[in-house]
Amino acid sequence: MSDELKSNISQPPDAGPTASRSTVPIWIILLTLLLLFLGAVYFDRHSGWFDKQVYAPYTSADELASYQPKSGEASMLAHGKAVYETYCGLCHGSDGLGKPAQAPPLAGSEWAAKDITSLARIPLAGLNGPIQVKGRDWNLSMAPMGASLSDADLAAVLTCIRESWGNKNGAVSADEVKAARAAISGHPPAAPNSPK
Amino acid sequence: MKNGALIFLAVFVALGGSWCGFVLAPELQLGGAKQTTILNSSDVYPVGRPGEATQGSSVYRANGCAVCHTEQVRQTGITCEVVLTDAGKTPAAVTKVCVDIGVNMTDRTWPLPLPKTILTGLTKEEADAASGKITTAGGKVEIHIAATGPDIARGWGMRQSVAEDYLYDQPVQLGSLRAGPDLANAGARADANWQLLHLYAPKSVMKGSTMPPFRYLFEVRKIGREPSPDALKLPPEFAPHAGYEVVPTPEAMELAAYLSSLRATAPLYSAPIAP
Ligand code: HEC
Ligand code: HEC
Repeated sequence: MSDELKSNISQPPDAGPTASRSTVPIWIILLTLLLLFLGAVYFDRHSGWFDKQVYAPYTSADELASYQPKSGEASMLAHGKAVYETYCGLCHGSDGLGKPAQAPPLAGSEWAAKDITSLARIPLAGLNGPIQVKGRDWNLSMAPMGASLSDADLAAVLTCIRESWGNKNGAVSADEVKAARAAISGHPPAAPNSPK
Repeated sequence: MKNGALIFLAVFVALGGSWCGFVLAPELQLGGAKQTTILNSSDVYPVGRPGEATQGSSVYRANGCAVCHTEQVRQTGITCEVVLTDAGKTPAAVTKVCVDIGVNMTDRTWPLPLPKTILTGLTKEEADAASGKITTAGGKVEIHIAATGPDIARGWGMRQSVAEDYLYDQPVQLGSLRAGPDLANAGARADANWQLLHLYAPKSVMKGSTMPPFRYLFEVRKIGREPSPDALKLPPEFAPHAGYEVVPTPEAMELAAYLSSLRATAPLYSAPIAP
């Protein structure tokens, strides 16, 4: 103890602390480089490179792109369901079973299996008068509920009607709707005849 | 002052650095956010809130709802489901592939009725592999993508909240504490009528609720010549004395409109869920 004190005192009293010019230990440099490297790897894996679309848990724009639903029949059906809920579901029901004294069923309806022009004519031009659906008589009137829809939306909703609730009548494309629209323009509302 | 310039420079760099990090960088990244189209549709998202709901947003703010409620759904992962939509012309071949990839075949009516969810909880690669095999065998499948995470499991949303969800909110009321449920999708869970009953007497619609009632947003008044059409239809133990009715003030109506407008369910490019 007293030796240490002595050695401190042995310096001249007015000498301030001085820094030696010894080099930075090599391990600190290596550690810093390693941390930088790990940081860069982490950044690369998790940042999405600041892409505004990429949120965790997605880690890159490519990964996000791989999760995008494929457009095709499946997505058309999903979109068709949404259009159906907005424009048709109120009367024909979310389950396609129709409502007594309001609208006939679409599930299993022979009208959904008709050719596309005849089917498209119903939402485009309306349907009035006595009809038969699944062996039951209906005599109501449907306004042209789909006349304001775009070809793509109408194709989606018709696909939904033809491919949901057990119906299996195939998808409808926007071009087919366009052709149907052209074919029926200027014609009176769908004739109230039985489909078969 | 000794080293004045240096100190000034240090302060400048410190403040400028944080300004760049907290203000400039987010502005560059998200400042250009605008309406996007909903996946697989021609509809845009978000559409601005109706005027009454916008006013309700300030009622929400004034009453400190954000103290107990967040408006942000978090997501920790993604999972895929494989749904068989069509067994094709050779159902036996598809069935064989399904057995090979480990589909649970205990169901007697296999593969009907279609569509049928045959695999769940897969990663994207696994789902793609399974879908590839079934498609080769002549079947048709869809891959459904679903978000996972505690918030999703609680039913607070179908996907995480992203910047677009708040495009028209000023201020954005994310909240930071969850004494009550997250409200990012409050409008998808309950209608304005329920919200009014809940605000007046939370216990009347939610047994054992600990949310404070907001009675002052309502007026209890003597029924005039005719009962008001807006009067709350309360269960007897919460109803006022006979001859009185509980009528929401305009603020309560606005708040209920705002709550009903809270829904962030649209699938977006940055938060895909499908279909
Ligand atoms: C306002 C109620 C209402 C809405 C909305 C409505 N329908 Fe109808 N729909 C009816 C009625 C009523 C009939 C039966 C008309 C008759 O008796 O001649 C009908 C009949 C039909 C039929 C033929 C009968 C059947 O059941 O197969 C089809 C197909 C159809 N509607 C499709 C649609 C589509 C597509 C939409 C949406 C774009 C739609 N409907 C919206 C009321 C409605
Ligand atoms: C002291 C904390 C607290 C405050 C402040 C508060 N809440 Fe709540 N809130 C809760 C709790 C706890 C629940 C869960 C029980 C229930 O549903 O009543 C809840 C539930 C809710 C729900 C139902 C959510 C659902 O879907 O189940 C809504 C909507 C809601 N609050 C809206 C509001 C609004 C609007 C305000 C401001 C006027 C507000 N809360 C203020 C604590 C609070």
